[in-house]
Amino acid sequence: MRDKRMVLFGFVRGAAAIALALAVGTIFIFLSSDEPFTALKYLLIGPFVSFHGGVTAFNTQNFYQVLAAMIPTIFTGLAVCVMFSANQFNLAAEGCVLVGGFVGALVGIYVNMATGWHAVICVLAATVVCGLIMLIPSILKVKLGASEMVTSLMLNFVLLYIVLHFLNYHFADRSKGATMTYPFLDSAKISSIVPGNSKLTWGFVIALVISFVIWVFMYRTRWGYAIRMIGINESFSLYSGMNVGGTIVLSSVIGGMLSGMGGSLEVLGRYNTFVWRELPGYGWTGVTIAILAKNNPGLVPLAAFFLAYLNKGCQLMSTHSDVPSEMIDIIQAAIFLFFAAEQFLSGYRQKLVVKTTREELMRAESLKATEGE
Amino acid sequence: MFGQFFQTIFQADFLFIIIRITAPILFAALAAVISEKAGVANIGLEGMMMITALFGFLFAYWTQSWVVGVLGAMLVGILLGLMMGFFSFKLKTDIILSGIAVNMLGTGGTIFLLYMFTGLRGNTGALVSPNILIPTIDIPLINKIPVLGEILSGHAILTYLAFIFVFILRIFLYRTPLGLKIRAVGENPNAASSVGVSVTRMKYIAIAMSGALAGLGGAFMSMYYSQGWNQGMVAGRGFIALAAQAMGRGEPVGAMFSSLLFGLAQAMKTKVSGLRGMASYNYLIEMIPYVVTIIGLVFYAMSIKRKARRHQLKPIKEKLS
Repeated sequence: MRDKRMVLFGFVRGAAAIALALAVGTIFIFLSSDEPFTALKYLLIGPFVSFHGGVTAFNTQNFYQVLAAMIPTIFTGLAVCVMFSANQFNLAAEGCVLVGGFVGALVGIYVNMATGWHAVICVLAATVVCGLIMLIPSILKVKLGASEMVTSLMLNFVLLYIVLHFLNYHFADRSKGATMTYPFLDSAKISSIVPGNSKLTWGFVIALVISFVIWVFMYRTRWGYAIRMIGINESFSLYSGMNVGGTIVLSSVIGGMLSGMGGSLEVLGRYNTFVWRELPGYGWTGVTIAILAKNNPGLVPLAAFFLAYLNKGCQLMSTHSDVPSEMIDIIQAAIFLFFAAEQFLSGYRQKLVVKTTREELMRAESLKATEGE
Repeated sequence: MFGQFFQTIFQADFLFIIIRITAPILFAALAAVISEKAGVANIGLEGMMMITALFGFLFAYWTQSWVVGVLGAMLVGILLGLMMGFFSFKLKTDIILSGIAVNMLGTGGTIFLLYMFTGLRGNTGALVSPNILIPTIDIPLINKIPVLGEILSGHAILTYLAFIFVFILRIFLYRTPLGLKIRAVGENPNAASSVGVSVTRMKYIAIAMSGALAGLGGAFMSMYYSQGWNQGMVAGRGFIALAAQAMGRGEPVGAMFSSLLFGLAQAMKTKVSGLRGMASYNYLIEMIPYVVTIIGLVFYAMSIKRKARRHQLKPIKEKLS
């Protein structure tokens, strides 16, 4: 009884937070736009519905694009989940996505393998490299106590400039106007699973499978338990004999591996050459997703879908009306603040608890009364 | 090449540049110091600087007065601080997460707000005019001294203010009752509240002050340093400031020295990239300030660790003797 009510309360609370955030977004749209209703229409239902020629119909291509946009963010969301579960505010997923994409691209260009394993090798290379990168902030944290948050933030910039250096001076295709690498070999590309130009690739399927694997890892294995335990109470884990340092490093390395995998799948699936010249931002989206999913890997795809939908809505809104697509950041920040607020709607929660307890007491008393007879 | 390198470094204008580059980092580092003293980790500094830089510039543009711009930036900084405080202290959002939310507002939200208020996209280049930029001042007497004058005179008013604030903040924290209360809340909230100090109130005050200082840093960036607001302007200075706070052991004067170190790293970057033969290393040079920050943090963490070990060993040694 109590559990059911609390689960229900969790959903109501989440929905209220999202509704509030959307309300904040709506206020800003009305403040800034001359055509607020068009803007709202495209923001809220644009991703699924096409309005061509006055006919409203389900828009399959847009729907596929929303799913395709989830590929990198599911991975960063999972990465952040694993690291935040161990109470590690490691924000280097951002840089790892970039490096993962770059490493995957390089292997896809320069390692010549004509078999179907090529793409797999590209992704694995990216995964391993990014796992190794995460050793830096996590070992500095475990051995020296250096704040993983600050080192990982700095590391993002370091990784960005390293990638830019190699992209510009070692691997650039000089025949092109913009800075980019040579095209990937065909064997390295991740192929689409649907017809059309939506870029919905096998990466999406892999992302869903990995979400399940990480859920099993976090909730059904010893190591996952250790990671969550450290997040809940580090001193307790230490005194009960867990290898706290090793587990923290493990969680960060897994986070790095997931980010690298996501980056390479995204680059090899979406583009023909490596074109990123700044941090792609998926790491930060990953943080929002982890918050929405409450660090539960099983809920990550759902949260990623929600954000991808919102993002697509914002893009459509900026193409079809006068509201800039950066609106997404304001909505995201609002979701973030309300969703993560433990005390949000706490008064209502309190009432629920009191009500449930009272009911239980009454039932216990009536039970006692019947026994007494 | 090294001869050329040292020639550029040992010049008055190099030291002048260091001071100029240090000022915004110093403002943000002081902002980190004051909030950290109250036990509040303000990682939203980056976003706060972006937002206050935008509003400082806009206020200055609307009133055509740089003073109003700077005050406006401080006010917006205070409001942002109070917003973070409201969510973190009242609604119990993790302070790190409310910081990240402010950073999100800083990256995309500012572009949206700029468009909303002015119809411009990405930067305010079109709106800049001389009377909304923070003026520089020549200090009488000092500007007559040969080398020192070149280094110390002719900076923006806010540059001097940054260094003055180091000492004001130090006096505030260690010589005033309010400063004592803030430190007490940071060191031991239970003890502080047991003697009647309102923990939440002190935290609100600290994060509001932190916002005001970040506002000064933001105003410095848009109204002097880059002469107008643009998207990539703050470029991680808010995060570097967090490192400067940690390396400076959370003290105003220490934060000043570590900010100067980052100023030096950044100034080196601009100097080195101008040298012959270095052009193809520009991205690696770009990396220097961030690498220095990580190395600095490592050294700081090592010294803390060593100190802690010494403290632990002492009682045992006493027993043995």
